[in-house]
Amino acid sequence: MEGLGEVATWEMDMAGWHLVFNATTIMMTLTIVALLLLFGWQAARKRAPVPNLFQVVGELFVVTFWGLTRDALDEKLAKKYFPLICSLFMFLVLSNWIGIIPWMEEPTKDLNTTLGLGIMGFFIAHFCGIQAKGLKAYVKQYFEPMFFMMPLNVIGEIAKVVSISFRLYGNIMGGSIIILVVTYLVYGLLLPPFLNAFFGLFVGTVQAFVFTMLTLVYISVQVR
Amino acid sequence: MTWENFEMIRAGAVRGAGFSVGFAAIGAAVGEGYAAGKASQTLAYRPELSGDVLKTMLVGQAVAETAGIFGLVIAMLLLFTPNAAQPTLAAWAFLGAGLSMGLSAIGCGIGAGLPAGSACLGIGRQPSASAQLTTLMLIGAGVAQSTAIYGFLIALLLLFKKLPDVVSMPGICALVGAGLAMGFGAIGPGIGEGIAAENAVYQVARNPENGTLLTRTMLVGQAVAESTGIYSLVIALLLILGT
Repeated sequence: MEGLGEVATWEMDMAGWHLVFNATTIMMTLTIVALLLLFGWQAARKRAPVPNLFQVVGELFVVTFWGLTRDALDEKLAKKYFPLICSLFMFLVLSNWIGIIPWMEEPTKDLNTTLGLGIMGFFIAHFCGIQAKGLKAYVKQYFEPMFFMMPLNVIGEIAKVVSISFRLYGNIMGGSIIILVVTYLVYGLLLPPFLNAFFGLFVGTVQAFVFTMLTLVYISVQVR
Repeated sequence: MTWENFEMIRAGAVRGAGFSVGFAAIGAAVGEGYAAGKASQTLAYRPELSGDVLKTMLVGQAVAETAGIFGLVIAMLLLFTPNAAQPTLAAWAFLGAGLSMGLSAIGCGIGAGLPAGSACLGIGRQPSASAQLTTLMLIGAGVAQSTAIYGFLIALLLLFKKLPDVVSMPGICALVGAGLAMGFGAIGPGIGEGIAAENAVYQVARNPENGTLLTRTMLVGQAVAESTGIYSLVIALLLILGT
C-alpha cells in the first residue's frame, strides 16, 4: 500500500530547468495513439458495402458523434469540429479501458493528461467564440451584468477547465485506488474483475462521454 | 499529557478521512435513491420499457456516485500518505481537507441524482427521445457536480500544500476555514444546479424539438447558480494561499 501515488519518472536538466517526465503516462499515451492509428487503418483499409468488424465500429463512432455535434453546433461549424470531438472520445474511452489489462495504466489517471486536454478545449472554445462574435462582443460579455463582475466571470471560465479535468482525473484515479484497496483486502480473490468491469468499462465510458460532451457544450456556448 | 508528532498527524488524518467519506456518502446515497425511486415510478405504468429505464437509471447513478468516490479518494489519501514536517498545522489542514470534500459532496450527490430521476420519468413519457434525454442528463449532472470538484481541488491543495514552520492561531483557523468555506458553499449550488437540470430534462421529454434551446437555457441558469460556489472557491483559495 505504500506505493500509492508514486509514479515512474525520467528526470533531466536542460538550459537551467529541471524537467521531470512521467514515464508511464508518456508510454501509455503513445501506446494508445498507436492503437488508434492501427484501428483507423484497419477500419478504412477495405471499405465495402458489407463492412468488416472495424468498419462497423468506426461507422458507429462517426454516426453517433456526427448527430450530437450537429445538434449542438450548426452544420458548417459541426463539419469543422466533428473530427476533434470524435477523436477526443475515442482517445478517452480507449485510455479509460486500457487499465483493465494487467500491467497497463490509464493515461487519464495522471492529472497532466486530463488538464492538458481541458486546456486544449478551453483555448478552442474561446478561439471559436472570438471568431464567431468578434473581439468586441467577446470582451463585452465579461463585463455583464455589471462591469465589476469581470474578475468573477474570468474565474468562472477558468473554473470550467478545473472542473472538466478534475472530474475525469478523480473518477479514474478513484476507481483505481478502490480496486487497489479492495484487491489488497481480499487478497486478490473473486472481487477485482467485477470492480474492473464497473470502474474501467462502465464508469470509464460514461466519464469519457461526459468529458467529450462538455467540451462540445463549451464550444457551443461560446459560439451562440 | 504530551503527544508525539506522528500521533498528531495520524489523528488529524483519520479525523479528516472520517469526515470526508462520512459526509460524502450522504449526498451520493440520497441522489441515487431518488433516481431509483423515479425509475420504479416510471416502470409502474410503463413496465415494457424496463430495459431502457434501468440502463438510464444505472448510468445516472454512476454519475451521482462520483461525489462519493471523490470522498473515498480523499479519505484513502489521508489514511495512506500522511507525512508532513509541521505536525500541528498539518493535522488541522487534514481536518480542513476532509470537511471541504465531505460537505461539498452532499449537495452535488443530491443534485446529480435529480436529473437521473427525471430522465427515467421522461423516458416513460417519450421513449423515442431516450438517447437525447440520456445525453442531456449526463451534461446536466456533470455540470451540477462541478462544485464537488472544487471541493476536491481544495482538499488536494490542503493535503499537499507546503506549510509554514510557524504555528499561529490565524494560520490554523485559515486552514480549517478554507475547508468550511468550500464545503458549505458547495451544498447549495449542487442542489440548485440539479433542480435546473431536472426540469430541463423533463421538459425535453415533453417537447423534444426544443432540445437545443432548453440545453442552452439550462447551462446559462446553472452557470448563474454556480456563481456562489465560485465565490467560495475564491475565498478558500485566498485563505490557503494566505497562510
